[in-house]
Amino acid sequence: MRTSDNHEVSQLNELKCDVGALTFTSHYLLAGDIIMVEQMPIFGGFAGGLEETTIVDVATTLNSFVTFSGTWHLDGPVHMRWGITTTREALAIAGHAIMAVKSVWPNLMSGNQYYTLAGPSTRMCLLETAAQAITDTASGREIMSGVAAAKGVITDKTTGLEARFMGECAHAVAGMPTEQTNEILDALVAKYEGDYKTAPQGKTFDECYDTVKVVPNDEYMQVYDEACAEMKELGVNYKLW
Amino acid sequence: MAGPGTRAQRERPTVFESYERARRGPKVDEKAWDFEIIPKTATRLKEKYGIHMDKKVMVPTDPDLMRRLYEAGLEMLMECGVYCISTGRVIKWTKEEILMALATAPSSCVIGEGLDARPMLPRSHKDSRPPLVQGGPTGAPCSERWFYAIHESYAKEGIVDCIVDGVLSSVNGYNPAPDSPWEVLAGRQECMMVRMAQAKCGRSGMGL
Repeated sequence: MRTSDNHEVSQLNELKCDVGALTFTSHYLLAGDIIMVEQMPIFGGFAGGLEETTIVDVATTLNSFVTFSGTWHLDGPVHMRWGITTTREALAIAGHAIMAVKSVWPNLMSGNQYYTLAGPSTRMCLLETAAQAITDTASGREIMSGVAAAKGVITDKTTGLEARFMGECAHAVAGMPTEQTNEILDALVAKYEGDYKTAPQGKTFDECYDTVKVVPNDEYMQVYDEACAEMKELGVNYKLW
Repeated sequence: MAGPGTRAQRERPTVFESYERARRGPKVDEKAWDFEIIPKTATRLKEKYGIHMDKKVMVPTDPDLMRRLYEAGLEMLMECGVYCISTGRVIKWTKEEILMALATAPSSCVIGEGLDARPMLPRSHKDSRPPLVQGGPTGAPCSERWFYAIHESYAKEGIVDCIVDGVLSSVNGYNPAPDSPWEVLAGRQECMMVRMAQAKCGRSGMGL
């Protein structure tokens, strides 16, 4: 690792830590490393509901710069029932928490991590990714970290194309008025939030990529093109779509 | 008390001071922390600051709501502190110390090196400059067979600025269990394979 790499340390749920984390953070600090402090508050967990979890998220974000001397905070509010960061509640918590912090400390830097319910090579996975990328961009985040598709728990269900879509959606909406992004988000989340119980598991890397050339296969590119078309219908236009 | 953030010593709190407070702070039962202190404090602050959110609005536009949320979060950190599970004690910070840490926190950094270096600079919600893209499996498991190619698939995407890697589900066929020698080997192999994938894509300075 180089000093210019992101050196990760995790807080624990909620507002907790352990000595091990403090100890290796001391090494990061003395080495002059970039310190990325991660924490994923749980909606429906110890804190409780929407507003309570958002308050904890604000406290956790601030804590990254206090207890851990962080360079930037890596957020990731997660839904207790579904284990993902792309539900309506998780997006609202993330959007409200960082806007609250930025309203007082505009120079604090933060990112958000992506855990979708659907797996790669599915429309739902890409739409979930788009919703979070738009929320993060429209709420002033500095960096997006993803995508751990299929909840980040199934081996090899992750590919570069999800990150391409995350980036392109962010580029497409940067600078858009907040009222407009909120309208897009409300319509976009409505496209997938009724499908949680039947979310497609998607494909593994070798099932949706040409593994020799390391490019997405035709089937995945068709899914990608369809997702791009849906985004354009919602008013999200990336220059290469 | 002369210490970090006090008038006598305007020093940014560090993990060294966090550790000292984790050793000497007030003792608290962990279950009381999880099931009483955190939920009761969050609920009380929600009511004190009159916070109500609309699930149809992901990004708030009401400056007063943002300010009340901030004040509630700051008070939550001040009042509760941070529970250290290793010592069973609470790391407590004063308001002055918290504000000192926030005021002196880094406001920029550069991720990666050379032509692949990406400056990370504060953004606002109105910014036409998009966020950086840290592409990768974000801790998701990858098989030994496909780890390298999966990370190449991220590194070769032009819109990706730096990599957040996955974890090997096995290493030389062994389980990289936490606190085992295999975990150390897996960590080193992950780092080496990501660097190789970046270099193969002509992006050897890319951040990880």
